[in-house]
Amino acid sequence: MTRMREFALPDLGEGLTEGEIIKWLVAEGDMVELNQPIVEVETAKAAVEIPAKWAGRVVRIHHPEGATVLVGTPIIVIDTQPDAGDPEPGADGDSTASSVASGSPSTGAGESAGAERISVLVGYGPRTEAPARRRRVAEQPTVESATPAPSTLDGPAPAASASPAAPSGPATPSGPPLAKPPVRKLARELGVDLRTVIGTGPGGTITRDDVYAAARAASQPELSTGPEFSTDVAPRPSTVAVFGPNREHRIPVRGVRKLIAQNMVASAFTAPHVTEFLTVDVTRSMRALARLREHPDWQGVRLSPLLFVAKAVLLAIRRHPMVNSTWSAETDEIIVKEYVNLGIAAATPRGLIVPNIKDAGRLSLRELADALNALVAAAKEGRTAPADMTGGTFTITNIGVFGIDAGTPILPPGEAAILAFGAVRPTPWVHKGKVRVRDVTTLALSFDHRIIDGELGSLFLRDVGAFLSDPEATLLAWG
Amino acid sequence: MSKALNEGLRRALEDDPKVLIMGEDVGRLGGVFRVTDGLQKDFGEQRVFNTPLAESGIVGTAVGLALRGYRPVCEIQFDGFVYPAYDQIVSQVAKIHYRSHGRVRLPIVIRIPYGGGIGAVEHHSESPEAYFVHTPGLKVVTCSNPVDAYWMIQQAIRSDDPVIFFEPKSRYWEKAEVDTAATLEQAYPLFASRVVRRVPADRPAQATLIAYGPTVRTALQAAQVAADEGRELEVIDLRSLSPLDLAPVYDSVRRTGRAIVVHEAVRTGGLGAEIASRVTEECFYSLEAPVLRVTGFDIPYPPARLEEEFLPTLDRVLEAVDRAEKW
Amino acid sequence: MLDGQAAPHGGALDPPTAPASAGHETGDSEFVQLLTPEGKRLTHPEYDVEFTDEELRGLYRDMVVVRRLDAEGTALQRQGELALWASLLGQEAAQVGSGRALRPQDMVFPSYREHGVLYCRGIDPIKPFGLFRGVEHGGLDPHEYKFNLYTIVVGAQALHATGYAMGVALDGKVGGDDGEAVIAYFGDGASAQGDVNEAFVWASVFQAPVVFFCQNNQYAISTPVERQTRRPLVHRAAGFGFPGVRVDGNDVLACYAVTRRALDEARHGQGPCLIEACTYRMAAHTTSDDPTRYRSASEVEAWQARDPILRLRRYLADAGLADDAFFAEVDAEAARQAVDLRERVLAMPDPAPLEMFDHVYAGGSPDLAAQREDFARYLAGFAPESGHGAETTGGGPRR
Repeated sequence: MTRMREFALPDLGEGLTEGEIIKWLVAEGDMVELNQPIVEVETAKAAVEIPAKWAGRVVRIHHPEGATVLVGTPIIVIDTQPDAGDPEPGADGDSTASSVASGSPSTGAGESAGAERISVLVGYGPRTEAPARRRRVAEQPTVESATPAPSTLDGPAPAASASPAAPSGPATPSGPPLAKPPVRKLARELGVDLRTVIGTGPGGTITRDDVYAAARAASQPELSTGPEFSTDVAPRPSTVAVFGPNREHRIPVRGVRKLIAQNMVASAFTAPHVTEFLTVDVTRSMRALARLREHPDWQGVRLSPLLFVAKAVLLAIRRHPMVNSTWSAETDEIIVKEYVNLGIAAATPRGLIVPNIKDAGRLSLRELADALNALVAAAKEGRTAPADMTGGTFTITNIGVFGIDAGTPILPPGEAAILAFGAVRPTPWVHKGKVRVRDVTTLALSFDHRIIDGELGSLFLRDVGAFLSDPEATLLAWG
Repeated sequence: MSKALNEGLRRALEDDPKVLIMGEDVGRLGGVFRVTDGLQKDFGEQRVFNTPLAESGIVGTAVGLALRGYRPVCEIQFDGFVYPAYDQIVSQVAKIHYRSHGRVRLPIVIRIPYGGGIGAVEHHSESPEAYFVHTPGLKVVTCSNPVDAYWMIQQAIRSDDPVIFFEPKSRYWEKAEVDTAATLEQAYPLFASRVVRRVPADRPAQATLIAYGPTVRTALQAAQVAADEGRELEVIDLRSLSPLDLAPVYDSVRRTGRAIVVHEAVRTGGLGAEIASRVTEECFYSLEAPVLRVTGFDIPYPPARLEEEFLPTLDRVLEAVDRAEKW
Repeated sequence: MLDGQAAPHGGALDPPTAPASAGHETGDSEFVQLLTPEGKRLTHPEYDVEFTDEELRGLYRDMVVVRRLDAEGTALQRQGELALWASLLGQEAAQVGSGRALRPQDMVFPSYREHGVLYCRGIDPIKPFGLFRGVEHGGLDPHEYKFNLYTIVVGAQALHATGYAMGVALDGKVGGDDGEAVIAYFGDGASAQGDVNEAFVWASVFQAPVVFFCQNNQYAISTPVERQTRRPLVHRAAGFGFPGVRVDGNDVLACYAVTRRALDEARHGQGPCLIEACTYRMAAHTTSDDPTRYRSASEVEAWQARDPILRLRRYLADAGLADDAFFAEVDAEAARQAVDLRERVLAMPDPAPLEMFDHVYAGGSPDLAAQREDFARYLAGFAPESGHGAETTGGGPRR
């Protein structure tokens, strides 16, 4: 047993924090018996006598009468083996508790206990140190079923603990997609179907980044009109469908998709559609594009054949304004418009959108190029303004990005004509009487036969083809 | 259900001579809801007896009887009258096993008719289950139908833990077929919830309704109407309120993404809040909408003429489902 | 009487007039007494017992030991080893007298101050100390010791005792000498509690074999008994329909006699009885209390003169039944037991943190098991600190 025993003021009444020393009943040097009263202390609740906890000789009394000491402060030291000779030097006062500053003023009693938690029995005594946190070791890896990944819970589940589910990398979703509410909201805004997204979060959950990536990936290929635009675009799998246990995948038709479908139906079954095709040698246009790219004024501007097609359409509309019109059933009128709001069809995960460039007919080539690039960029990032998606008067749809030659596009509601242009392919062609490899593309013009008859449609289409086959000469000819 | 409970009590009295039934008017009268009808006649006044009108006394003496080796089944005549006994329940019944370090078991069942919808006066339509669920050491269960009533009362009596057994009085007269030939060992577990309306896995389900006691029927009816409207709802009867068995709830919510809790008890501090918290924690990545609650309002139970406005109805449940879908 | 003033109590106890002659005297049947404060032996027409010399010495020894162990409880609290101690100082006769009247088959329902009764049941006196030290809530098996756990909610145990007694009757263990009786201890304050009064109702209408032993120690913390009743508590019994008897609570012989009779009647099927033992709480309500705030030194002194141990000592000495050697031996024995108790209390281990999840349910709970696991994981995540274990959480006793 430790020889020198130091006694600290206990909590004398369920949560007291301090006491005043009224009277010492023993003095230094006195012998005391176990339970002999040694001091009278007054607390907020009562005045009490404290009996000696050990028998022995009083070696040191730390605080005088009248001192107020905090609970946990050592107040007396008793030598429990008084007959065992002199105590070791320096042993005085530093036994079981932390070191004590003897003779310290009463009000400073608290600090003398040092930064360590003061030992008291009931109530925790005064806290003298700043609040601090116990040091934690690294979180144990949550390997077993104790903290299951959200998608694999079984039985009356253990409460979710503070540590997140075990990171397990991307997993193919086997049930409904997992995403926390803010991520779901983001997906809705970006038009991303969570069921088609593979989550890279813990347990296969879909993160914000996953959603952004899906949105970007979805919009990119359809609007690729830069150098990526080529006939070499490789066939690639479309986005993943997730089949349920009965091998079916049901997608609710809601929102934008529903609206688009309705519009499409309205258009397809109201306006009698006729489509005409023209295959054109566009080698000169491709060369002109290349020369533009070298031109100092055009440095840094993204250029693609779409620009020339747009220009061709705009010039042709000037020559055949009827093509830029609307059939108004309510008023029994055909409304021919001078302004051309040129729509560029874009397929995004949200569905088909057709942002248009307002009054494109008045733009210079450079302005037109900029406008097209801006339109494409905005659509890719899903930030096309709603105003840009209404009021279109003529639409171009680029199916060449899919490596497709021609199609029979459906008129956007309210428009009289839509031009699809396909992939530009090196093709054997008769050029100046000889068979040469030339860049060839197919143009497909669908038009509302109520407004545009075969002659008009053909004339218009031939003009577009004429420009593309020889842009410089055509520009000069048309003024 | 009243008869099912009666039969269940009868079986319990037959199976174990230590089972006692005690409460106000449980003897000759057979209880104000006839749940103990005929039992005193068949089992005698020693085992089925009227007590003085003293709820604290009922529970306090039950503690002594249980200490002596009996299995008392106490009846508190109405939910609103349990409060005089509340101290004996939470300070003694709930704590003695813990206080004695497991040495003393109190296999006491306290049966309490609860809930509203019967046109009663004040204090006869309460739903005080949260006060008991909030007390560790007690187990709390509630039957929603006669079949469960028959088996659960016997299982509760067999339990070595004290069980607060809530009987929805608005369902006392509901009828169902009960197969009394089956054995207790075959019965559905006491502390387990049950999916009472399951949507086949190959069909989409829009929401999960979580209910107990009297609102199970409400939830099922709401689901019926929703199905006619083309929406499929899963319905889960919790049955056990403490401990809660929420694993089937989590499975369902992970599928539907929407959870709606339905209880008659007052909203604030009710069990719906506890369930919402757990479902949110466990199913966070699956939630399309926050967990909604359809409950009584934060008022003392209103006069009977207004109680249909207060209690959760089919319409309020479906309105909550509508709201959940709009998130 | 105004609050805060200590005044003589209307209900206390004028000692019965005793004719001035030596030997046995008759006492007042209103207040059963067999031994005066001066140590004179009295007789009583209804309640009396022939004690052997050995028995008398034994009662003295019991009271001295009980007092000494109780003092150790107070000292240990003052030394920071117990959170609290509820002292029975002054009530030794009531507890030892009634305690020694119990038969082995009888069951005791104490409040939280009956360390003397516990001792007389042959139970290790350390049993209550776990509760007061804060390491546990209980400490013993009621069935093994025929002694229920201390019940802190005032008066609640009266109903438990009554229910238990009803069970005894249901078991048919009532009606003969080997019948079982139940005794419920409570104080003057508890007599105002609804539960105690309900217990009286039940015990009487069910004819339960329960003795209600009320130690009227004159105070419920600081509230004198006049605030709990207008008439002596013993009169309650008649209102509820069973007998009541008032006894000098500082007279161990009378307490023994009265309790034995009551228990015997109960075990023979005659139903309940109320014993009001008039005594005095010489110390504070608990170690958190300061009685100097509400009662006078003179009042305490007056009761000092009625000390239970002192009167028996006087009697034993005067009657030549014990000498100084005996008294010294008893003191030494008491001291020895106290030291032993002290050492064992100091050696009591703290419960491990996860133990707090044990025994909430006999049948377990998956919810709770999950909480326990979570907490275990949380605890395991702390770096071990020097001098503490990984188990130690903030606060709590430290050596």
